[in-house]
Amino acid sequence: MRIDWTILRYVSGPRVMRAAVVGFTLLLLFLPSLSRAVNLSGDSNTYVQSREDADKQKILSAYEYLNFSVQDPGKEVSFHFGGWLRYDLKTEEFGNKSNSDLQYGYLSYKSASNNAAVNLGRVMVFEGVAAERVDGMYARTDLAKGFGVSAFGGNPVETEINLPGNNIIYGGRLSHQIPGLYRIGVSALKEEKNSEDFRKEEGIDLWLRPINKVELMGNSKYNEITKDWANHSYFLVLGPFARVRFNTEASVINYKDYFTGATSSAFSFQPSVLDQDEKVRILGEQIAFGLTDNLNISLDYKGYSYSIAGDAKYYGGNIRYSVVKAGGAGLSLHKMDGDDDRLKYDEYRAYLFGKFGKADVTLDALDVKYKEAINGVKDAYSVSLAAAYELAEKLKIGADVEYSKNPDFEKDIRTFFKLIYSFDIGYGKRKEGV
Amino acid sequence: MKMKTVKIAFLLLLPVFAGMLFACAKTASMAAWHPVEVSYPPMCSDCHTDDRAAMNHTSDFSTRHKFYASQNERTCSVCHKEAFCSDCHAHVEELKPSDKYKDSPELTLPHRGDYLNQHKIDGRINPSSCFPCHGRQNNERCKVCHR
Repeated sequence: MRIDWTILRYVSGPRVMRAAVVGFTLLLLFLPSLSRAVNLSGDSNTYVQSREDADKQKILSAYEYLNFSVQDPGKEVSFHFGGWLRYDLKTEEFGNKSNSDLQYGYLSYKSASNNAAVNLGRVMVFEGVAAERVDGMYARTDLAKGFGVSAFGGNPVETEINLPGNNIIYGGRLSHQIPGLYRIGVSALKEEKNSEDFRKEEGIDLWLRPINKVELMGNSKYNEITKDWANHSYFLVLGPFARVRFNTEASVINYKDYFTGATSSAFSFQPSVLDQDEKVRILGEQIAFGLTDNLNISLDYKGYSYSIAGDAKYYGGNIRYSVVKAGGAGLSLHKMDGDDDRLKYDEYRAYLFGKFGKADVTLDALDVKYKEAINGVKDAYSVSLAAAYELAEKLKIGADVEYSKNPDFEKDIRTFFKLIYSFDIGYGKRKEGV
Repeated sequence: MKMKTVKIAFLLLLPVFAGMLFACAKTASMAAWHPVEVSYPPMCSDCHTDDRAAMNHTSDFSTRHKFYASQNERTCSVCHKEAFCSDCHAHVEELKPSDKYKDSPELTLPHRGDYLNQHKIDGRINPSSCFPCHGRQNNERCKVCHR
């Protein structure tokens, strides 16, 4: 018998944030009547964005991003929610007057021992080959002798695909570790759409620290449908040696095996643009040097070597100065050097920020010079000025204005207003000794 | 018939076996929330000497945070709520992270400035950097051009 997880789809959708706001209000009303101690904490981020779209239509959109957790500090059960709602104050953006999304929402049980946890609802899963949102269940626990196991299953939460029939995703990961020395995992997932195989992936992940200041990490993913490796991605971190760190990256990506299971046609490559049989080797190096506790310089290089297309490289450096709770500045220069003029640009960025009592001010400028003009424009730039003020310990107000010129807009001015409120409220009385 | 009996026996014994392994683990769970306030930027090695010491949030940490998250997300969650992850790793999103946090210029936030045009170049050079976030999620706006 197969469980039809699609029933969980009804807990999401465009009305979910409105339902969440009602639920949140009810929570605030009823929590004080609980005899047990319950803690409600979270953030409310209210944004209003003003801009023009490509048809010179004025857009004024209000967004509410709400996240909260309800839990008894001494107990093991909690509830977590995150989502947003947009309402247009002037016209319709993206074809709808309003929009919303449930980012996550689940009931969680965490055991006091063995790092065991069970999450039920809309859960985010990061386990080996799986980086998913699932309407279903996620569970994990430590096992004996350094082993650990996790599993998940349910309805895949994806966009831009609407196939009839049963959609299901499930998978798991088995790991072993000696804390501080290594952690290795094997993982697998299977996703079916319309009761047919959509993804079948297996992977190995590794973190190894054989000696102090040497750290190797990475993963390899095998595509069971195309029967070949999708990618190998590994990072070697050395240092710090006299304030210098070296990060080396090596990756191999096979396009026909990596870009399967996409729900957007953007990844259905055409030979005239990108060949599906392409294979790229990426080799990168970053050298980071901390001149002082506040001043850092880094140089980075990434080389792309293709089996079909011409090679490319991206390189540059940046310098950062920052003093905690006071301010700082940064400057970065990078060059993208593809195999023809359409794939070349220079990127410059400079920023400056300062904190003055309860206020902070940020100035940020970004300039991209394209080698070949796009819509007749070679130089795209934007400058933003942001300011914020702490009205209270948990209440902050802020606004910014951005001016930009780019291939799509000769002159684009955008404003953004934000009100951020953090709450942490305890309800009920805790029994003595609990 | 024999195969079916083996399958049923396996399914019945699986939770017993898992329960035994769970009972034998005897590890203490990590704290649900970091017990002391952490200064910025978090330098985990100031206090920890095990694998957590490797999670120092140096300026280059963001380039490899995915490896830690895919292996050891529970350590991330001691300091970060899921909302911190979903600010960038979105299911459906209309605001760029760099628009929400213009007052945090030090953060490594994707798609600053005019990325609509720049993505035509970056996407050709390395489409695998787009895929984790836009392959199966947060791609409704891609269809405006990618039909």
